[in-house]
Amino acid sequence: MGNQWKRVTGVLCAIVEVMVLSIPVSAHHGTNISYDHQHPMTVKATVTEFRFANPHAQIYFDAKDEKGNIVHWSGELTNPSNLMHAGWTKKRSEKELPPGTPLTITMAPAKSGAHAGVVLKIINEKGEQVLLGREQQLE
Amino acid sequence: MRNRLWIAAFVAVLFVSSMSLAQAAQGRGQGAAATPSSTASLPFDPHDLSGIWSRNSQGYGGGGTCRGCGDRGFSNDVPAMTPEGQKRFEANKPSYGRALGTPAAAQHPEEAVGRRRAVPPGQGNDLVLKCNPSGMPRMVLYPDPMEFVFDKNGSQVVQTFQWTHQWRTIYTDGRKVPEDPDVNHWYGYSVGHWDGNTFVIDSYGFDDRTWVDHFGYPHSDQMKLQERYRRVDHDTLELSMTITDPKTYTKPWVSETKKFKLLKKEEISYDGWYGMLEEICAPIDEVDNFVERVVNPAGGVESGK
Repeated sequence: MGNQWKRVTGVLCAIVEVMVLSIPVSAHHGTNISYDHQHPMTVKATVTEFRFANPHAQIYFDAKDEKGNIVHWSGELTNPSNLMHAGWTKKRSEKELPPGTPLTITMAPAKSGAHAGVVLKIINEKGEQVLLGREQQLE
Repeated sequence: MRNRLWIAAFVAVLFVSSMSLAQAAQGRGQGAAATPSSTASLPFDPHDLSGIWSRNSQGYGGGGTCRGCGDRGFSNDVPAMTPEGQKRFEANKPSYGRALGTPAAAQHPEEAVGRRRAVPPGQGNDLVLKCNPSGMPRMVLYPDPMEFVFDKNGSQVVQTFQWTHQWRTIYTDGRKVPEDPDVNHWYGYSVGHWDGNTFVIDSYGFDDRTWVDHFGYPHSDQMKLQERYRRVDHDTLELSMTITDPKTYTKPWVSETKKFKLLKKEEISYDGWYGMLEEICAPIDEVDNFVERVVNPAGGVESGK
């Protein structure tokens, strides 16, 4: 009975995950084409810098690679007007993301192999989503 | 018992998928059309174009176009170009549309070529990426809010644009556009007049470095642009445009009809402040940080380029 539930839940989660991540978004500034949306990745990250700037907010963070070395990443975020519209004011956003904040970041990495990507989702230590998920950004 | 579990799972998936689709649909702005506006059928004065208008799927900006509002291209139906026009077209490397050289690009011949040759911005040459002016008609194709401010004397109209905080003056004092301006303007020289219930703007004298739209269609400094705005109901402003540029296009190029929606105060209030955002593209932010630290690496391009 327990195993049956686990299987069903696992399948459900997989289906929902695929549906959520596969909703297409049109590009803002055309940067979307630089990223590999077929192979998103999730890392444990530490914020080094957050810029609430027009027309693209950015988040810079450190994460460990497979060998345990620190890698410096650049993350594209959405237009501040999108954030503001959803209640993520500059003050609120900056309060959530000072340097040193631990996060779980899901992103579509650059096809070039550079340590840059478009951020799809940010989860803080409390398990709360911070800023907008990519499917909500609608750029 | 197993069957019941799978049935429950199936129902849950249906529920979640309908929620996701609803969220996506609303997010993509289909909500803007799906919920009929209570103000659309109010009486209106067709000569009153006041208010903040937007082609955005949300109110504020940064999003895609609202459903039925037309996309961000001038038109999918492009006239044949002159040899010079074609050369300039090929030199432009946009980042919008289907990616260059992909099966998706090849499988859609019904889409104009300009819409099927996108490259990462770090490898492209879109001048807007580094905060250069959008120019016209690209600025009115961008789905951020805009506003007409008619002066009381009837001698000029100022059109303001949230995107990059730009404005242009449209003179309605009877003058004609200059025939051979000494200095070309990024946004041209504009005059306007009413033709019945249509506000007509004629412009000339454009800097030829701007693109017609984000697909990289060029124009020359000989481009004549006519815009025709008509308020068709309380909440909707229609725009159709014609480009006459024999140096670039062998025939006049007529746009698709684009629609703007009138924004309600609550849609465009932020932090208790009503109005358009100051969406300036400042190189100190966009170029020195976003382009240098995100766009160029993502495009496989060395910084400093």
